[in-house]
Amino acid sequence: MLSGKFRSALVIGGQGIRARKLRTFLSMVSLFLGVLAVVTVQAGAEIAERAMLTDVELQAGKDGTIMGYVPGEKGAPGIVETTLKGRSDAVAMIGSQAIIGEPGVRPINEGGMPFEYANQGGNYGGPSMICDASGVCHEQKQPEKKPDGQAIEVSMIALTGDIRPFKPFRPVSGTWLDFTSAPSLAPRIVLNEEAAKGLKQYRIPGEMMIEGATHHVTPQIAGVVQDGYMQPRIYLRLDELRTWMPTAAETNDGNRFRGGGPGLEIYLEPGSDDLQQLLRSKLIGAGIDQQNLHFQPVNSKERMESELRIMRLIFLGMAFLVLLIGVAGILNVGLATVGERVEEFALRRAVGMSRMLLAGIVLAETLLTGLLTAALAIGAGAAGLQVALMMFGHRFPSLQGTTFPWEAGVAGVIAGLVAGVLGGLIPAIRAARIPIATVMRA
Amino acid sequence: MTAPQVPVAPVQPPLLQLNGITKVLKGQGEPRTILSGVDFTVQPGQSVAILGRSGSGKSTLLSLIGLFDRADEGQYFLHGNDITKLPERKAAALRSAEFGFVFQRFFLLKHLSAAQNVAMALVNGQGWSARRKRKQQVMEALEQVGIAHLAKSKPSRLSGGEQQRVAIARALVRQPRIILADEPTGALDTETGNLVVEVLLNTTRQGCGLVLVTHDHDHARKMGRVMELRDGRFN
Repeated sequence: MLSGKFRSALVIGGQGIRARKLRTFLSMVSLFLGVLAVVTVQAGAEIAERAMLTDVELQAGKDGTIMGYVPGEKGAPGIVETTLKGRSDAVAMIGSQAIIGEPGVRPINEGGMPFEYANQGGNYGGPSMICDASGVCHEQKQPEKKPDGQAIEVSMIALTGDIRPFKPFRPVSGTWLDFTSAPSLAPRIVLNEEAAKGLKQYRIPGEMMIEGATHHVTPQIAGVVQDGYMQPRIYLRLDELRTWMPTAAETNDGNRFRGGGPGLEIYLEPGSDDLQQLLRSKLIGAGIDQQNLHFQPVNSKERMESELRIMRLIFLGMAFLVLLIGVAGILNVGLATVGERVEEFALRRAVGMSRMLLAGIVLAETLLTGLLTAALAIGAGAAGLQVALMMFGHRFPSLQGTTFPWEAGVAGVIAGLVAGVLGGLIPAIRAARIPIATVMRA
Repeated sequence: MTAPQVPVAPVQPPLLQLNGITKVLKGQGEPRTILSGVDFTVQPGQSVAILGRSGSGKSTLLSLIGLFDRADEGQYFLHGNDITKLPERKAAALRSAEFGFVFQRFFLLKHLSAAQNVAMALVNGQGWSARRKRKQQVMEALEQVGIAHLAKSKPSRLSGGEQQRVAIARALVRQPRIILADEPTGALDTETGNLVVEVLLNTTRQGCGLVLVTHDHDHARKMGRVMELRDGRFN
């Protein structure tokens, strides 16, 4: 139950606001901009953080995901694939290079560089250097130059399962890979936007050459996703890819997707400690040095927050200055109002109201004004965001599905309350000091 | 043999009693004594008129009685209890519970109706009653002064006499023990002034004490006791 004093303050404060609508409105106008500034800064910071996080998550993985790196030696890829088979709480991916287009030609973007930098001369990444154990380095002998042709080079990412729970790729067109069906003899691939751009721009024939494959394949393009990478990439099922790769018996040292070659990236759900332990045990058992097994949680948010904190503080400081102007407005109107209401306040004390309650009434009025203004500013902020998203949302995919952050609402309410207290405190003290005898001398 | 015992009625303390009250105005310049050793008593149901010239200390005395201000010397008893050094918080509670105030200017809030102006004395942080009960109390007070039919009217639509009766209803709504009226007819014509004095006198018939500060000897003569202040002392 609310106390009599609190109820009295609210009732009389409400009466005061109703009686001085114009003054209340003028107070609100000056305060509105201040609270709106706070709401906008807070909302902007939250949305920017979420957008940045979403972009980072595309590459680094969702926050909290356990990411592991396993060297692609001693049969590790096979062990990992077998262990993760049929599981949805972990996915492994292994990368390689592939060329799509005319066989036997130099790709337009040799080395898998973004097409923006293709045909600009020089090698993407510069000459390769090889260093021996003693630290002596020498330039690697460049392979024989092939004739230019209609082909592009892409990073090929083979997946043991659906990676999207760990990396939230945004669909652009078509569909994602179906991991529930039987492996297809013609591998289905999903392109990232850069790879799709290359295929479309250079009218590339649909033939794919994979290093180490027994022969060329004709892939089926299932769809296009946004994956946050600038380089052209394609995604495909590891089991479908293996259809085109030689078995261990056909090669001397096995192929990279079975036994040797680049390492694997493994993504595990948070709390998958048992699975992580199982993988470690199997891999160490296969002879892989445990020093080379790295598992760590993705903490992009924490890293970004420290980067955003300074920027947010600067903007909040600016918003606070604007808010102070609003506070000055309330203070000004509040002092003028107290001056006008001297007799009313003296009379209220004469009929038994305490000084504290009188101060409480003045504070209640400014607090109610502050809260009302905060509600309007929050509403305006939320409506403004919706309008902005409708107008500009299509230009910024990372803003898709953005809603007004509740943190901005809380910041607005706090700003309204703080402004109400700061703007009402001095008038409240003045009101409490009005002598009752004022009514006698009037 | 012992004498037969005669039953003695218990002595009831006065409603209020002031002993040797002195009030000195300390401002810029020389201190000025407004009241000097004033003794004053009011019994339940008694009406007292205080006459005096301007500056004789009438309003100052009323403000001391109403706990608006503190005396520099002397003692103040209410129902026999010494309240001379009452802290402000308790003084506010006493003002609410014991006193009703009527002023020369009516001090009605123009944005509130007559009923809301009367209810102002109930919404003062000294306890809380439900809206329905408040409304009933307000209507009873307005009926007591004969203007219940004007409950919803704003002060701007009321005559001077009606406004003063609203102010009296505001003073009565908490059923005080003492009404303190500071020249309540000063802003009214003779006929309306007489009506207002009658309304105030009616309250004493229900046991309420009345202290009326006035310049009007005709109104003063209607009170049970008339006292005149001159240079800070009662003659």
